[in-house]
Amino acid sequence: MEGRITTEMSAEEILGRLRNADGYYLCNNERDVSQSDFKNRLMPVTTLRVAPHREATGFFSVEVSGGASPHVDLMRKQVNPFERLRIARKAMPNTLLQAVCRGASMFGYRHYPENVIRFTVKEFAKYIDVWRVYDFLNHVPNMIPVFEEVQQAGRILMPSICFSTGKEHTDEYYVEKVKEILNVTGPDVIISIKNHSGLGTPKRLGQLVKAIRSSCPDVVLHYHGCNTDGNDIGRMIASVVAGVKICDVADHGLGAVYGQAPALTLIHNLEDYGKKAIGVDVKALIQASDVLRVERRIYEPFENLFRGHDPTVASYKLTGGAAGSTFEQADKGGFLDRMPEILEEMGKVQIELGNWWSVTPGSQILWTTAVNNVLYGRYERPSLDLRNLIMGRYGPLPFYDPQEWICQRVLEYQRSDGKKWHQVIAEEGGVVRPRDADLERERENLENEIGRPASDEDLALYLLYSFDTVSFLKFEARYGKTWLLPPEVWFRRGGFKVGERITFEDENGKPHYIEITSTRQEGPTVITSLLVDHAFHTLTVTLEGADACPPPA
Amino acid sequence: MEQKLMFDKILVANRSEIAVRIMRSARELGIKTVAIYEETDKDSYHITQGDEAICVGPGPRKDYLNIDSIIKVAKKAGAEAIHPGYGFLAENPDFSKACTDADLVFIGPPPDVIRNLGSKVIARRIAKESDIPVIPATETLLQGAEGDEEALAFAAEHDYPIMIKAVAGGGGRGIRQVDDEKALLAGIKQSRSEAQMSFGNDEVYLEKCVQRPQHVEVQIVADKYGNVVHLGTRNCSIQRRHQKLIEIAPAFLKKSLAAEICAAAVRAAKAAEYLSAGTVEFLVEPDGTFYFLEVNTRIQVEHTVSEMVTGIDLVREQLLIALGEPVGFSQDQVVERGCAIELRINAEDPKNEFFASPGVVKVYQAPGGHGVRLDGSIYQGYEIPRYYDSMLVKLTVYGFTWQEAVDRLARALDGFVIIGVKTTIPYFQQILQEPDFIQMKFDTSYIDTHPHLVDYLEEEREMEKIARLIAEINAHGYNPHVE
Repeated sequence: MEGRITTEMSAEEILGRLRNADGYYLCNNERDVSQSDFKNRLMPVTTLRVAPHREATGFFSVEVSGGASPHVDLMRKQVNPFERLRIARKAMPNTLLQAVCRGASMFGYRHYPENVIRFTVKEFAKYIDVWRVYDFLNHVPNMIPVFEEVQQAGRILMPSICFSTGKEHTDEYYVEKVKEILNVTGPDVIISIKNHSGLGTPKRLGQLVKAIRSSCPDVVLHYHGCNTDGNDIGRMIASVVAGVKICDVADHGLGAVYGQAPALTLIHNLEDYGKKAIGVDVKALIQASDVLRVERRIYEPFENLFRGHDPTVASYKLTGGAAGSTFEQADKGGFLDRMPEILEEMGKVQIELGNWWSVTPGSQILWTTAVNNVLYGRYERPSLDLRNLIMGRYGPLPFYDPQEWICQRVLEYQRSDGKKWHQVIAEEGGVVRPRDADLERERENLENEIGRPASDEDLALYLLYSFDTVSFLKFEARYGKTWLLPPEVWFRRGGFKVGERITFEDENGKPHYIEITSTRQEGPTVITSLLVDHAFHTLTVTLEGADACPPPA
Repeated sequence: MEQKLMFDKILVANRSEIAVRIMRSARELGIKTVAIYEETDKDSYHITQGDEAICVGPGPRKDYLNIDSIIKVAKKAGAEAIHPGYGFLAENPDFSKACTDADLVFIGPPPDVIRNLGSKVIARRIAKESDIPVIPATETLLQGAEGDEEALAFAAEHDYPIMIKAVAGGGGRGIRQVDDEKALLAGIKQSRSEAQMSFGNDEVYLEKCVQRPQHVEVQIVADKYGNVVHLGTRNCSIQRRHQKLIEIAPAFLKKSLAAEICAAAVRAAKAAEYLSAGTVEFLVEPDGTFYFLEVNTRIQVEHTVSEMVTGIDLVREQLLIALGEPVGFSQDQVVERGCAIELRINAEDPKNEFFASPGVVKVYQAPGGHGVRLDGSIYQGYEIPRYYDSMLVKLTVYGFTWQEAVDRLARALDGFVIIGVKTTIPYFQQILQEPDFIQMKFDTSYIDTHPHLVDYLEEEREMEKIARLIAEINAHGYNPHVE
């Protein structure tokens, strides 16, 4: 398709084409759709099944990694995040791969040492073409190591300005923030407007885009929004009309709610404005959704229990991924009936704590604070993260500090030395950068854990999530590349029928099969006989706990 | 007595792969075979390959060694001859004699030949008389100062290092290597003391230490008419504690040296009045100096490499020679072509001092294709008994060149799927990637000087691992690794 951007182009060529584009490009944000609406469970085989159509669609990029996804890959999907990137690259060789990075928190929940950040970015930058980078306080210094490593790797840097609403969130603030970023990065970047909670009206977004473009006319703008309130199509239309060149969208076949809005709807609407989706083959886009409609049934157990758009997000401002999961946490925690109060409290806490951006890790701080406030009394049980935030550990709060009574309750909570809150801030406050890690010692530790030499990729994962990486590598050594299994097998409930044949292909396209030839149970031991690629195996599994009890007749 | 044209039936007094190997050649000649087995070996594959099978006792091992019992069984079954294979009774002259006494043909050398060549003293004498160099050694050292003087004189002639050996020695006891005069004199005392304690005899002698030699052997075939033909050389230098791990034909010696060694082997066989197939073993120093070592009076494990490069079926020859036929080919007709390599795939754990790894062979898939020969006796579901040797299958490959044979060997090893027991396959895969081996730079010290070969990762096949998860999902009714 004419004007399509591909992996064969250099970062410079891509930015040149974006600047001169008469129309807009689309980024398929599979990662955010998976995280926001399917608990990050979309399996690599699903990506592979839809990949030929996505590759043919001609997206600017497909976001396949970042955020919480590498961690969930290890913990819940038992797939190596690097391997998932290799799979995606092989299946979509012409399409740029994108990831979202939480600045100093990388793909995690806390600030990492600078040498860890640089090391892991280098490793991931071998696969990730486009780096969407943000900081939940819009504190630019927190993002600089990532900026530098991405640019040094020759990848496309997409620094974000996190967007929200309220009297402090003026055009002037955001324009200055864009300038601050450009001062650090230079002009050859894409600035992303990160509307993680899907806030603001179309008019507000259009106005913001115009303001940025008027001050920085050469800047290439990307829009990332969530569709929590059901109005992100409107915001994207206004943004594109005002000059945004790339929008994050979803496949309509996944019918996402809290993730991105459907690509095809945006295309249809913008046609009326004379705006064309550059490089996009609509037929392939529709075919991708035809595949995903069927695929989606596998993930039904992971969809949010509480569905439907929620315009009240404008007040509680939770990010797309958190909006659904909070209801489930409340359900599991036994306080679902108090959710209306908690969401109202979220709005209050937002304002009281500084009206910054409710996105990881800030969204977790706000949620925990609101829940604790409702359940135990206002600021009576502050979390450690809240204390760190008020002490400025993550960076300065952008607009104003919390009121004194809040600082007092939070900072003097369980303090045994009798220090007052202002003393605590004076003596212990401010950004504390974690000390650089001893990478060779960490590698030794990892190798001792897994009993084999560790690759740089293994080490990068270990530095981000030590416990879960070791668990995963041990799992992989024992069970192999189980991501090859069809997701309907991976998520199977109820075991297998005798005679059932599981077929799948390996990475090299070679077909394999496993056929269940018999199952029998002797006490707590289940004996399964299988034909595995023509060879007969009998495997025994001893059940423990509740699983060991036979089901009632 | 009129010479018989062909045996109707023979008994194979052995088990496992060599029994199967013998049965194959017999069948090709239209000879029926009787398999024997011990109760502890009742699942062995060779039992199914004989035309008849007879249990010779409860076992383990003792009934395969019971000469009277085996002779009785052979007579009862109507066998006319017995093939002993290798190991067990193969080099026991009493068994050869018992066969003859019972009017059974022993498919191997006569008892006197076995006895003479089994004696180091007689074998060395035969070699010397045939102008074959033997490793220089002293007679038994005199006691006291006179013995020390003899020792020092020997050292002056042959230089250090020197081996001190117990006359009644065996199993490595009473043997030590010494590198200088002080160690020699002290070592003689220590060896005498050890020999006295171990064997009740403190006599010792000295032998020149042949350092890092090649182990080269010559396959010979001899008939009762005095014809002795050699089938060329084999290199069996890669050994672990004197057990051969890899055997290669030819030995890749200089042409003139190979001819000299082969001629020496034929002379030794003739001097010993040898009959049937046998092997004359030599040690070869880097400068080409070679020494007679011993004669193995049996078909050997590694006979397959000689068969592959010459195209001659050695067991068939043994059977025909036992019938009184002359050797079926002249020396001129023996042509060595290309290269063959044989490996013993054993149920052993190389990472654990090569200890046996008995168990059930849960899955067995074997390679094939051009130039790949398998002599095995395992099958899927076979429980390897712990009483016998741990060999599962012998892999022999042929290649037109050394490199082709090495490449083929690597490909064939990759083609094996053996699940349930640890095997020597990953160790051999290490060797096949090792530069010294690839460049044929090896001698009898190879395994000791390459200890890193055991540093491999034991990798299960991907599908076996995934099957483990399927079994878990099936057992639990859900995937326990999802949440």
